[in-house]
Amino acid sequence: MERKVLMRLDRVTKTYDMGEIKVEALKETSLDIFDGEMLVILGPSGSGKSTLLNIMGGMDSPTSGLVIFGDKNITAGGEDVLTQYRRNQVGFVFQFYNLIPDLTARENVELASELVKNPLPIDDILKEVGLNERMDHFPSQMSGGEQQRISIARAVIKNPRLLLCDEPTGALDYETGKLILALLKKINQETGCTVILITHNIAIGAMGDRVARMRSGHIVEITENLNPISPEGIEW
Amino acid sequence: MGILSKKIWRYIVRNLGQFLAAAAVVMGGILVYVSMSSAYYNLGEARADFYRENHFSDYYFQFVKAPDGVIKQIEGVDGVKQVSGRIQRDLPVIKDNNERATARIVSYNLPMADDLNKITIVQGRLFEEIKSSGLTEVVLDPKYLQANNLGWGDEITVIVEGKEVFFTVVGSAIGPEFIYTMKDNADILPDPQKFGIFMVEKHQAQQLLNMPDQINQILIAFDPEADQTAVVNTIKEILKPYGLLASYPRSDQLSDAMLEAELDQLRAVTTVLPLIFLAIAAAIQFVILRRMIKTQRPQIGLMKGTGYHNYQIMIHYLYYAVAVSMAGALAGILLGIRLAFYFTDLYATYFNLPVYLKGFNVQAVISGLVMCLVIGCIAGLTASVGVIKIQPAQAMRPEPPAIGGKSLLEYWPWLWKRLTAGWKMTMRNINRNRGRFAVTLLGIIFSVALLVISFFVYDAVDYMMQKFFYEGQTYDISVRFGSLIAEKEILTINHVEGVQKVEPFLELPVRIHCGNRSEDELLLAYGPDLTMKKLEDDSGQPILIPDNGILLNERTARKLNVKQGEQVEIETLLPTGPVHWEAVVIAGQVRQMVGSGSYIDLQQANRLLQERNLISGAMIKVDPGTSSQVEMEINGMLGVASVLSHQKEIANFKSYLGTMNFSIAIMVLFAAALGFAIVYNASVMNLAERDREIGCMRVIGFSVKEVSGLLAKENIVHSILGVALGLPFGRYLAQAYMQSITTDLYTLPVIIYPRTYFLAAFGTILFIFLAHKFSVRGVKKLDLAEALKSPE
Repeated sequence: MERKVLMRLDRVTKTYDMGEIKVEALKETSLDIFDGEMLVILGPSGSGKSTLLNIMGGMDSPTSGLVIFGDKNITAGGEDVLTQYRRNQVGFVFQFYNLIPDLTARENVELASELVKNPLPIDDILKEVGLNERMDHFPSQMSGGEQQRISIARAVIKNPRLLLCDEPTGALDYETGKLILALLKKINQETGCTVILITHNIAIGAMGDRVARMRSGHIVEITENLNPISPEGIEW
Repeated sequence: MGILSKKIWRYIVRNLGQFLAAAAVVMGGILVYVSMSSAYYNLGEARADFYRENHFSDYYFQFVKAPDGVIKQIEGVDGVKQVSGRIQRDLPVIKDNNERATARIVSYNLPMADDLNKITIVQGRLFEEIKSSGLTEVVLDPKYLQANNLGWGDEITVIVEGKEVFFTVVGSAIGPEFIYTMKDNADILPDPQKFGIFMVEKHQAQQLLNMPDQINQILIAFDPEADQTAVVNTIKEILKPYGLLASYPRSDQLSDAMLEAELDQLRAVTTVLPLIFLAIAAAIQFVILRRMIKTQRPQIGLMKGTGYHNYQIMIHYLYYAVAVSMAGALAGILLGIRLAFYFTDLYATYFNLPVYLKGFNVQAVISGLVMCLVIGCIAGLTASVGVIKIQPAQAMRPEPPAIGGKSLLEYWPWLWKRLTAGWKMTMRNINRNRGRFAVTLLGIIFSVALLVISFFVYDAVDYMMQKFFYEGQTYDISVRFGSLIAEKEILTINHVEGVQKVEPFLELPVRIHCGNRSEDELLLAYGPDLTMKKLEDDSGQPILIPDNGILLNERTARKLNVKQGEQVEIETLLPTGPVHWEAVVIAGQVRQMVGSGSYIDLQQANRLLQERNLISGAMIKVDPGTSSQVEMEINGMLGVASVLSHQKEIANFKSYLGTMNFSIAIMVLFAAALGFAIVYNASVMNLAERDREIGCMRVIGFSVKEVSGLLAKENIVHSILGVALGLPFGRYLAQAYMQSITTDLYTLPVIIYPRTYFLAAFGTILFIFLAHKFSVRGVKKLDLAEALKSPE
């Protein structure tokens, strides 16, 4: 069956100007992302995976190359186009949650839902992440796992087509990490939302439909995972 | 440079905007302090020097006339150190264009030696006694000389008892009693076109005024240990037979009183304004340092771990506050000195003071510098005390995430539910940074209040002009005669072409007695059909002059401690004719912003004098466009001492307002700079602390504009509260300021037009908006990936 391409990266290069020296974080990288898949990007620190994610998420622009989302080139058009793209198409989940300390759990999710025309029902989402009882707590009153759930709720409330997760379990203990991964998998399966998960934890690769390995700014290998295993079965 | 100094220096360079904003507030305070206190000090010093060097007298006695010999008699009074006797009389001048002016003839001995109130030549030379020819040499006050384009050798015509007498101008001079040359306290401002001091040699004055070997004024200086009241009473007794008209201390002398009022005003501004600025500057420094210490917690932990003492670290942070203070102080001093010169020039145009009126005052500069240093140290030390509590091991771990807390509004669920997430964030952020919010709000309140005060000056002056010139007196020309004349004589004025209506008046100097209190006062008497002058009672309602009784001036009534319905004794003090006493009932009180004077019916005034139908002047209403023609005709009439055109009075008043604009512009600039600096500072801090939050919102999909809008919400709260509290505070300050400068000579009303409130509110919102725009430039530049990478 022909899979539909959601996003296409075409010979994307990103060079950082670090004063005297230039650092090439991404070198002519090309990658197709398919609609509804779960893609795990693996690589050691410094391999360029965060740069790749930043460019895919519209947080950064490539030095050269094209990023096509649907049929739109998001690299042309500047800040406004990127803002609209992030607002309507993308949800982010970070390693350190990045919740707004002055807003309660529910309000953090509301903040995102106010942005889009047709957000998902907030109570359903909070229930989905299992936090509808702690929704009036502030981030400082919650555990890491709880904060990450809120951060996921905040990402999916906009009903995005692409969910980008940057080391979502990096700051969590083993058990909590697995629960978060299970939640992401469930979202991927139930909503059909494309999930890209970036991690240096090789074991997590087993749950992806595809696994891309990065090293020194290149994608060195992409493997198809015909039988991805459920997060509960992953050990690290 | 030590390592720590390098560190703080680099911090300053990296956060230059914030540093400059804080320094600007210090600068504002020092600028005002150095310039105003220089002006205050210089003016005070110049006055003190001038008074001392020219032997300004302590007490004045005015009488009808007495022989020269009375001087000797008074010299013998115990407690009198020095006495001068002289002639002082106002005479009409006929100018080249036939206009009238008033010459105040004042006589001086030759040689002058160390006489009381001696004069200092500014240009030209001193008069000489010329016995042979009919010429009299005169020295003029510089303002009259200048205003009338006179030069050495020019002739001036003065009318003495109906005869023309000629003076030759030989120089210009200033004296301690003529620093501010206003004719009398019925005037609002000096009018050098219309009034000048004519200084002449004593014998020539006596000859000219037909007072051989006689004088009509005595000046005295007290011995340091003298019982002044006793001395004054003794002299009054001596002078009684010679028709004592008035006696008053130096502080009631018009020029001294005006100068004192100006100094009072300066003192009020010099103390209050810099204090406001410096207090706010200290609060800003405190807030900046507290935040710096909070964000540099790990560094402080490291420094402590390495072995730095608490005091070394505290001094390190103290450097910042001292650097802000010193930068602000230096800029403030430089600009303040510049401004001090301007103020000095301004005073030179107002006052007849010796040339040694200096520019700036070293003492002000030094005390300004010390003040800044002290304030910087206090702010720095109180803020950096927190360093002591930091434990090195704890401090090197990142600080726990900010604790979100409930804002006050949350206890009002109806409203809270209706707020957007952005407003909720704003309210909680304000709640978390209450101290900073309060400091910023305070700064805004002060700038709003400063704007109100600045614009209020226009309102007060406009209101005063409206009341005084346009509503209070509606005549076109006012004429005064050299002596009292019969009312029927003004019929000639009625016949002048263009004259519509003439209303006579009588100005009668009196002394009003009540119990053991007495006050000198000018009685203004008008006929029953008065239309060209409107009076107001003490509640601001129109009031008519009654047939019987006196309408006492509010200020005079207060000084005499009398009320409506009570009786006072009136003693007439005309320089000619006998003194009369009569009891009169107080029919009411009149309120006058400027000038003094109490009102009485014309017939009753004549009864006081035991005369009939005497008048001293008239108000004239003319056909439109004929004013100058009529003025010229009247100028040519016999017996006319002065002619005042309403138009010219207004023009003279307006010309003084020009100098006001600059001072107001400076005040407005200060207010805006203060507001801008403080809002900018708070916004920049806010932005720096919330970069993670902002990055997060940008990533979720908020645009730069939306995030800036979020940051603006705090400023909107500031604007609303600042304006709401600043406007009434401004009104309160205006009231306090007016109270502090109200003198016997004038009362300024606290009238604030809605326009002023609007301008102050609009100005505030404008500078808050600008400061916000400046500070949110950082939102656009924020590196999203970078902001979100670091752990909380």
